[in-house]
Amino acid sequence: MSPGVCRTCGGSDIDLDQARGSAVCTGCGSVLEDNIIVSEVQFVEGSGGVSSAVGQFVSSEGPVKAPVLGSGFHTGVGKESRAQTLQSGKRQIQNLGSQLQLNQHCLDTAFNFFKMVVSKHLTRGRKTENVIAACLYLVCRTEGTPHMLLDLSDLLQVNVYILGKTFLLLARELCINAPAIDPCLYIPRFAHMLEFGVKTHEVSMTALRLVQRMKRDWMHTGRRPSGLCGAALLVAARMHKFHRTVKDVISVVKVCQATLRKRLTEFEDTPTSQLTIDEFMRVDLEQECDPPSFTAGQHKVKMQQLEQELAKKLDEVEGEISTYKDEIETELERNHPKLRGVYAAYSKEIDPQEEDASSLTSDPEERRSVDVELEAAAQHLTQDFLCQVIQEETEQGKKTDDICKEGEAGSKPEEAGPSRQTAPLVSILGKLTNAASLDLQESFTTLKDTETDNQTADEQPDGGELDLDGIDDLEIEKYILNEREVQVKTELWMKQNEEYLREQKEKEERIKKEKEEGTYKEKPKKPKKKAEQIEASTAGEAIARMLEKKKISSKINYDVLRDLNRRGKGSETGSSTSDTPTGAGRKRLTRRRRRQKTNNGGDTDRGLAATASIMGKRLRPLISTSTPKKKKTASEAENTVSTTEPVKEVVSEVQAPPPDPTTETSSAHVDEEEEEEEEAEPQEEEDQCVSALQLIGDYGCDVDEEEVF
Amino acid sequence: MDSSNDEALDIIVTNVVATFRTRCHLNLRTIALEGINVIYKPEVGKVLMKLRKPKITASIWSSGKIICTGATSEDEAKLGARRLARCLQKLGFKVRFSAFRVVNVLAVCSMPFAVHLIDFTKNNRPIASYEPELHPAATYRIKNLKATIQVFSTGSITVTGPNVQNVATAVEQVYPLLFECQKPLCK
Repeated sequence: MSPGVCRTCGGSDIDLDQARGSAVCTGCGSVLEDNIIVSEVQFVEGSGGVSSAVGQFVSSEGPVKAPVLGSGFHTGVGKESRAQTLQSGKRQIQNLGSQLQLNQHCLDTAFNFFKMVVSKHLTRGRKTENVIAACLYLVCRTEGTPHMLLDLSDLLQVNVYILGKTFLLLARELCINAPAIDPCLYIPRFAHMLEFGVKTHEVSMTALRLVQRMKRDWMHTGRRPSGLCGAALLVAARMHKFHRTVKDVISVVKVCQATLRKRLTEFEDTPTSQLTIDEFMRVDLEQECDPPSFTAGQHKVKMQQLEQELAKKLDEVEGEISTYKDEIETELERNHPKLRGVYAAYSKEIDPQEEDASSLTSDPEERRSVDVELEAAAQHLTQDFLCQVIQEETEQGKKTDDICKEGEAGSKPEEAGPSRQTAPLVSILGKLTNAASLDLQESFTTLKDTETDNQTADEQPDGGELDLDGIDDLEIEKYILNEREVQVKTELWMKQNEEYLREQKEKEERIKKEKEEGTYKEKPKKPKKKAEQIEASTAGEAIARMLEKKKISSKINYDVLRDLNRRGKGSETGSSTSDTPTGAGRKRLTRRRRRQKTNNGGDTDRGLAATASIMGKRLRPLISTSTPKKKKTASEAENTVSTTEPVKEVVSEVQAPPPDPTTETSSAHVDEEEEEEEEAEPQEEEDQCVSALQLIGDYGCDVDEEEVF
Repeated sequence: MDSSNDEALDIIVTNVVATFRTRCHLNLRTIALEGINVIYKPEVGKVLMKLRKPKITASIWSSGKIICTGATSEDEAKLGARRLARCLQKLGFKVRFSAFRVVNVLAVCSMPFAVHLIDFTKNNRPIASYEPELHPAATYRIKNLKATIQVFSTGSITVTGPNVQNVATAVEQVYPLLFECQKPLCK
């Protein structure tokens, strides 16, 4: 404000005179500033000699309270929207905060957060109470008060995860880093609620030590802090000879029994639990444990490994047993004297046994119905016997291994993937046995699957066409039911979904009915405002009509607007003739409709007839658009009459029969009139209507037409 | 797989979600009545169809939009989608296979060490968030990759991203951060 350098001479020696309020350059004498504004506090002497400062106290939160003018007349403006939001927010914060017993400082901070949130438009699309709760929780976290999100959700009866979502979003947007929750914060609060009396402090201390120990033992990451506190407090209470049951603790801490039990068992697993009470108070073990879920996972993995090894060993044992079995059988057969003649039949009995053995192996093949497998199985069986025979002859394990491995190599090209599976078996058993052949057959099926998968994994660029490469049609046909099955399923489905189908039918019927009546509204989703189109000759007129219809602003005096418009009516009518008849008809239509809307006090007869005429009117544009420009009123009237007849039926559905003749006559009548009007002088009609209006005595408005009966 | 360790980390892709369009209107009732393994939900307006071969569940809408979930690789997802389209073709709809796009990939990975979540969150303040009251894992979001990583205290992590490549990159990116905050296992 103070001028630094003179403009004319450049000198910096400027004299400020406060009394005169002027700044003068001492070098050249030019006056630089006149009437300098000062910002000082002034005092006035009030009645009784009391001096007070001049001025008003203006709050920093905008014009919350409008300055009282004169007699305190309520200004029509009201408060700004933003100020209202902030005020209601503040009120809610105070409300909630007092229930949580937060001090004023916290509440003010919460309100500041809320202001930031509002200015960033984060309240859009969210419930205010959720946002308020999130702000409060943010404060709790930054201040370190022992309030949980669960408390807030209890008060508001809102799902805690919804609150959590809002809270996380706010924290992210406002760039507030809430420090992590420490379960130690909650101990004093819960201890107090558990009513330990004089010893509350001691119990809290013990519980704190326990929690710290738990932290060191990795029990607290990923868990709700309240659960840990509950467990710690329970143990501490018992240590100090308080008989607090699990139920008591749960009701305070807000976790469920299962959780508490689990925490206790986890703590039991740690070495600290083995110490006595005194030892625990004195000593701190160095060793730290792994997180309990990690140990559980490790345990599971170990169990799985054990199971696998066991299964393998079982297989081995089985294999060995079956080899022994085969050997014994062959030995028996060899040693058994061959039966001839009469006893040949007996030998056949023995043979089926062997055949059974082979058929057992072939059954799984048939089940899978793969030719390759049959061949391979046959191969393996023959090799099996070969191996056994050779073994019996030479009794050299190594040779059989070679032969078996040769046999393996022969079939190797067919086995690509699962060779891993067969190799250890071969090495364990040393030769092919029944069990081994079974496994091999399994491996064949899996191999086939992998092969087909490989084929079908080919990539093709999609240009909209479906690439059928590698898609097994047969398999896909399995997905589709045949005729009979379709029928059965249809029946079942119809029965199951009867309710829904019935509803759909009713809805359809309703829509059909409405369509016939012509009151069918396409879908409630579309805005209904589209229905009325405002046709106006000038922009000003259109705006005026829209404003009237909507009554948007409370700052406009509509009466004056109307008067203005009416006075200008005479000049407008001339221009209305340029409108097409249909346009004019529609114009009148909208006016009539609006007129109807505003006319509530009409008597029933007139009302009915009016609605009837509306029906006719609404159809009018349809009729007029279809028919060419009319010259003869009579023919037109006839047309309208004839068209109204089928319409009459529709109309009669809605209304009682009595108004029918009136409908017909009135619509025809009015149509006729309209014809005449349109052809001749629209002006007259309007004047006529004006006079009719006045006769009827409705309040004058811009809409001049009225049903003339 | 990752640069700072000798052993390779196993990233197992557990779920791939993909969408495609058939460019023709589908009559859901026909599909529901003539197909095996279909569940019709008329209130929502979709049909759930499950395939066995690539184990896939598809949500089919009458507009022709289809979402396939449950595949274990991107290729499998495409195969399953094509199978599904073929099935619909057989049912009599003029199906064309277009706009196939993998939307989401979910993978799990296990670190050989446990992670101290609170330190991890402190070191990576705005990007990582940890709210034990709400979820046991710390969430780490990588904006440029559009990937989200959830870190559990046992050292297992789940990664979701728009494709498998992003997921792998995300794991590589986050590994050193996890390594810093590791907790040495005593066993």
